[in-house]
Amino acid sequence: MAKAPKKPAASAVVDRNNPKLSLWNFWVSCTLLKLLLIPGYFSTDFDVHRNWLAITNKLPLKEWYFESTSQWTLDYPPFFAYFEWILSQFVSKAVREDGCLDIVAVGKFGFPTVLFQRLTVIASEVMLFVVLQIYINKSQMAERSANFVVASSIVLSPGFLMIDHIHFQYNGFLFAILIASILAAKHQRYLLCGFFFTTALCFKHIFLYLAPSFFVFLLRVYVLDFSNFQFKSYNDLISIVQWKNLFKLGSVVLSVLAVCFAPFVRDWSQVLKRLFPFSRGLTHAYWAPNFWALYSLLDKVLTLIILKVPCVHGFLTQFIAPPLIPATIEEINWKIQQYNVGTKGLVQDVYFVILPQIQPKLTFFLTLFYQILAVIPVLFSPSFKRFVGSLTLCGFASFLFGWHVHEKAIMLVIIPFSFLVTSDRRLLTPFHLLVSAGYVSLFPLLHESQDFLLKLLYTLVWMIIYSFALRQVTKMSSSVQRRVFFFDRFALFYIVMLVPMVFGVQLLEALKWRYAVLQKFEFAGLMIYSIYCSIGVLSSWVGLSWLYNFDEPLWM
Amino acid sequence: MVAKDKFSKESFFASPLYDFLSPFRPVANQYYAEYVIVIFALVIRCAVGLGSFSGENASPMHGDFEAQRHWMEITTNLPISQWYWFDLNYWGLDYPPLTAYHSYFFGKVGSLLSPTWFALNSSRGLVTPDLKSYMRFTVIVSEAALYIPGVIYFTKWFGIKRRQSPIGTYIAAAAILFQPSLILIDHGHFQYNSVMLGLTVYAINNLLDGFHGPAAICFVLSLCFKQMALYYSPIFFAYLLSRSLFSPTFNLPRFTSVALSTIISFCIMFSPLYVFGGIQNVLQSIHRIFPFARGIFEDKVANFWCVSNVLFKYSENYTQDDLQRFSVYATAVGFIPSFVLMFLYPKKHMLPFGLAACSMAFFLFSFQVHEKSILVPLLPITLLYCSTDWNVLSMVSWINNVALFTLWPLLKKDNLTLQYVVMMLLSNWLIGNFSFVTPRFLPKFLTPGPSVSDVAETYRRRSFLPDNIFWKLTIVTSYIIMGCVHYLDMFVQPPKALPDLWVLMNCALGFSCFGLFWLWNYYKLFDMRNKSFLEF
Repeated sequence: MAKAPKKPAASAVVDRNNPKLSLWNFWVSCTLLKLLLIPGYFSTDFDVHRNWLAITNKLPLKEWYFESTSQWTLDYPPFFAYFEWILSQFVSKAVREDGCLDIVAVGKFGFPTVLFQRLTVIASEVMLFVVLQIYINKSQMAERSANFVVASSIVLSPGFLMIDHIHFQYNGFLFAILIASILAAKHQRYLLCGFFFTTALCFKHIFLYLAPSFFVFLLRVYVLDFSNFQFKSYNDLISIVQWKNLFKLGSVVLSVLAVCFAPFVRDWSQVLKRLFPFSRGLTHAYWAPNFWALYSLLDKVLTLIILKVPCVHGFLTQFIAPPLIPATIEEINWKIQQYNVGTKGLVQDVYFVILPQIQPKLTFFLTLFYQILAVIPVLFSPSFKRFVGSLTLCGFASFLFGWHVHEKAIMLVIIPFSFLVTSDRRLLTPFHLLVSAGYVSLFPLLHESQDFLLKLLYTLVWMIIYSFALRQVTKMSSSVQRRVFFFDRFALFYIVMLVPMVFGVQLLEALKWRYAVLQKFEFAGLMIYSIYCSIGVLSSWVGLSWLYNFDEPLWM
Repeated sequence: MVAKDKFSKESFFASPLYDFLSPFRPVANQYYAEYVIVIFALVIRCAVGLGSFSGENASPMHGDFEAQRHWMEITTNLPISQWYWFDLNYWGLDYPPLTAYHSYFFGKVGSLLSPTWFALNSSRGLVTPDLKSYMRFTVIVSEAALYIPGVIYFTKWFGIKRRQSPIGTYIAAAAILFQPSLILIDHGHFQYNSVMLGLTVYAINNLLDGFHGPAAICFVLSLCFKQMALYYSPIFFAYLLSRSLFSPTFNLPRFTSVALSTIISFCIMFSPLYVFGGIQNVLQSIHRIFPFARGIFEDKVANFWCVSNVLFKYSENYTQDDLQRFSVYATAVGFIPSFVLMFLYPKKHMLPFGLAACSMAFFLFSFQVHEKSILVPLLPITLLYCSTDWNVLSMVSWINNVALFTLWPLLKKDNLTLQYVVMMLLSNWLIGNFSFVTPRFLPKFLTPGPSVSDVAETYRRRSFLPDNIFWKLTIVTSYIIMGCVHYLDMFVQPPKALPDLWVLMNCALGFSCFGLFWLWNYYKLFDMRNKSFLEF
């Protein structure tokens, strides 16, 4: 008997046609890796969350959104505050004495607090594994291994590793709720879908960016019914609304919102002010790799050209009227002095010298415009694939054109896209562009040298595994149109060149003390990152939009 | 059916490593597996490197980290003639010249990045986050350049020779690369053992390929990096000599090539010392490398002298010279049988066993042994993960755990508790030692099973335990005692009179396990002398 393991019986080997595909091993291994990251670097977000633990634990509910001892005030919706309150119940005596629950301007804490908070992230992330395991188990046999690849790519994502386990946030847990709602939509459980999405929204309002897509999809598939529609008069329009379904969905959504916001209904204006701080600048601390990064690059290039070759300015003013462009060279110089652009990039606001300033309103309309473009096809043919496509494009629109976008918001695009990518091989190119540029653009978040090799190698190995695995499981192109060979090669070149870019910027940083030129352009490294990555993200968006709008068979 | 049986006979069948690597089984995908293993091995090393190192915040002497940094400081700033003389009380250089050249190289590169890191005298005890990252980086680069390719080549060679599936060899390579002790000492505690061990693996690889001269060169380089490689020297000597003299016949060209490459590489290694400092400098370096003035053992270590010292106080009854003589006799008695066996039967597949027996004899009985020296016998032992014999694999897995356990007092001092626990769990879990504890109480859809491999859902891999009942009992008992010692260490204060009691218990257990393993290893070595490669 003892010799059994040496020569396992044939029953030890399972039928290939009925794979079990469990995420268990992935969970164990990456949890062990995450434990090793506990003593590493964490950002100010760590103190933010510690402060919220303290606020929710020490203060009565109605003061939560008024407390402002620390600059890290509570600015997430109430569900997240309740979540913090629950976590704070588990704070042990040793951690409490360490200063975990003190309401102070700047947190004074030691290793016990770090250990406790890091462990809460790891524990709450179990949700992500559970949801994705359900996703695998519920999928049909034909697509199970493809779905397994998608699920494992999400749980092993370098994005979650960098943002949650080094930088410090709770995205794994929050995205688990979002994925649950996508999953519910896939299995036509629309009430559940509405419930989960509203819950996710009440945890973190950044999911509002995806709301148009959910709204239109649920409206079209659940509330409206065009099956017996014949237009005779406008009264018939009323008959296409399924009032019972509308009522059910509405009550689910409203009751979730009520549970979330009811305790704060008296202070609604204060809560809103905290949730939507419009006083912030166009770009976050440095540029997220979006459209505005390219816009500001164009502005810098134009400034340089006009200052070196003044006649260009004279030429341009013949076509463009002065409010849109500075009237004289003197005005340009004055502006440069005024804003001190070029060198001090790390400010809350960015001003443009040649190009017009960007108003919040403009970014809002641009975002909305592209989101509407993305959801219109869902109105016409509300398939699940269309829905996920529109989700991805909504994420794209908000990321590329939004106001004060964090580079971390790229996860809002990558996660929906992951659910789409296995359906057609032509989606692989935009997907690889997006994940490589997106994950690399997160590197500057972890600016300490000790994380350099770790983030680079982990992202690299993730890219190797999943570029290989996704190619194995994606279906061949469904349409007769062939892929454009040139673009594929170009994308590959772009992705490979990310590596020298990362090394080059790191070298630039390391040699900064030696050369005065490098000190003058203190933020050149960050700029290179955001510009190079924004090219990838933008081209991915263009590629996906093209397929979404002009390739019909893919979405059936 | 045939194909399935072939897979299920693999030694790591149904372990998590098997599970992770099985998508790479098709021939077209095998190419990826190597990269994935190596990069993950590096990622784990980076992650361990986030922790503290020996002597962090411990003025005025600090620890091994400061020693290595200080050597970069002296080698880059002083002429070669002073390397082995400069301020010997503060971490004077006491490793052979290749270490000095290695320090010189990385010191120069580091000075390009920041001149303050290795500035003479003013940089003593300096620790900045960037300096720490740089030093960690140099260890990773050294290991990635020497140890990792060496191990992968070794496993591939054995795999091809024994017609293993390529994935089987990659799994063995991963099991070797995730050996916890080396990772924790090099990337946690901070040392460059992987350079010495990597050069030794290259020497073994060259022997496997029949390149005897290059093997001698690699081994001399290893020896010139760290004198601890001497533990291996009798076996290399026996093997090379025997191969040149009578296996199969006297081979003069081989003999000359081995002799010349050994002498020439030694000369090249020491010539800068001679050219820039004269013969006095060379003698000083040798004097520094072999410090016979120190005690018979340092700190608490799981070898014969330290453990028997409890019963019999050597230092009270004998002089230093007597003790030195005893240790030489004991070591000689310990390693000579392996030397003779290797000389009479110079077979390739006996090399790991021979090296393990010999270096273990040195570890157990020689003079001035550190607890870290266990890495030396551990290298050939860990290379045996290439074996397909369940008993051998079980013994290897066991002795790896024991070795890690004996490093615990050191790692605890370095503040590496978290890393110790995680690496112990990870290394055992990866090779399937914890497959039996996978929980069943979870909801059915979450019940752990294989991810991607073709292992049946209900099948649970058994942990590594030999078939023999004696070994089974021994191993299980040793694990239980380890658990108890950890418990005592954690929650119970040792008696006032014996503050080191728990550490001594650790050493005693380590010594008895190493001793037993050593005897088994000798038995295997003897047993193997007439066997062919395939029975390995």
